[in-house]
Amino acid sequence: MPGKPRKRSPLKLPEKPYIALGLEGSANKLGAGVVKHSPDGSTTVLSNVRHTYITPPGEGFLPRDTAQHHRQWAMSVIKDSLQKAGISLHEIDCICYTKGPGMGAPLTSVALVARTLSLLYHKPLVGVNHCVGHIEMGRQITGAQNPVVLYVSGGNTQVIAYSQQCYRIFGETLDIAVGNCLDRFARVINLPNDPSPGYNIEQEAKKGKRLLPLPYTTKGMDVSLSGILTSTEAYTLDKRFRPDCLAAEGEDVITPQDLCFSLQETVFAMLVEITERAMAHIGSKEVLIVGGVGCNERLQEMMGVMAGERGGQVFATDERFCIDNGIMIAQAGLLSYRMGFQTPITKSTCTQRFRTDEVRVAWRA
Amino acid sequence: MTDVDHSSWHKVTVRIPFASEKHAVIAKQVIEVDKELQPQAVVRTIDVEGDELVATFTTLTVRLARLTLNAFLENVDLVIRTIHEFGEEAERGPQRNAL
Repeated sequence: MPGKPRKRSPLKLPEKPYIALGLEGSANKLGAGVVKHSPDGSTTVLSNVRHTYITPPGEGFLPRDTAQHHRQWAMSVIKDSLQKAGISLHEIDCICYTKGPGMGAPLTSVALVARTLSLLYHKPLVGVNHCVGHIEMGRQITGAQNPVVLYVSGGNTQVIAYSQQCYRIFGETLDIAVGNCLDRFARVINLPNDPSPGYNIEQEAKKGKRLLPLPYTTKGMDVSLSGILTSTEAYTLDKRFRPDCLAAEGEDVITPQDLCFSLQETVFAMLVEITERAMAHIGSKEVLIVGGVGCNERLQEMMGVMAGERGGQVFATDERFCIDNGIMIAQAGLLSYRMGFQTPITKSTCTQRFRTDEVRVAWRA
Repeated sequence: MTDVDHSSWHKVTVRIPFASEKHAVIAKQVIEVDKELQPQAVVRTIDVEGDELVATFTTLTVRLARLTLNAFLENVDLVIRTIHEFGEEAERGPQRNAL
């Protein structure tokens, strides 16, 4: 809150360097990262390795195949991250893994590896909430003090603000996540999934010329996205739709680029609105955008316009940290661990539903 | 859980040898954490006998026996590969002065 004196952080400076390995696999990205917290209070990313399971155009990723991908790549991704960090597992203090939320089978595959390493090297396990991982990494990289966080990815769409040791959800999607909406539309128009469907939609949208009317569905502090997806898909059945973009000059046509552009403009405007509501509610001047959709430069631009009008600013990270990665799990996990949190192996399960506000943020005042 | 008559159910036993009892115990501790997805239709036991991991699955249908066993073997394979990749180094202990 503006004007109040800053409370002393309960997280003391570490008396020795702490190193953590983080393992992430809640969706189609498998990540391993090593982070170091030094006695001078600085945080260093020692390595951040990721491998993405990319499906052919027009297809999404299913739990069974994604889990298989993670099982296949786990050893090489982890070894690569340790090698790049120049350390061995003997030197780390804890092994952090994504407890949830996410897809069940992929999460469990990664947890199995985490448990095995924990028993082999006698290191404690720390189960981490994926959303909190994004937030903590965003805070660390950008240095934002107390922002309203817009967490937007393929699996989650939430507006979050911190208060009294809890990341409270101010607004969220009532049905599907914005990344899910964009990815599913990318499938309908057969965009490639390499490097990610969202990136390709962003590039196509830049070539769009028409803004087509789509339902604008903010619901108070929340948003609803499944209806917009259906409407955008319905345009592809419209007789004016030209998938190959061939049209005579002046002809009334709708191209896939126009639809990408219209979809992005509409959903991003909705997200900016609900973020603004939260900012007005709290009196905050900072916005931090995290999650895979946060890489989108148009979203950052639109948010920047809104924040500028309010005398605030937008913080965002690049794709190394926006997109799911292991280092964010290591960061959030190590912060928990330094406050005394550990996950006993018998409780080191994974869960598909894990609310952001269920985590006790002990490391903040 | 009330007593269910398992006599007509299907039972599969799998024995997997490990390099040592220690590794078999690690595999047991890692895999047994996750509960079966359908406990009312699948009963699982995991034990270590010597250096062998022994798992039995008693299932209501043959299809469930196939699915459960397949998932179990995929998981065991992952644990075995992890031990194979990191086990020796873990056993050797820290080699040089820590950072």
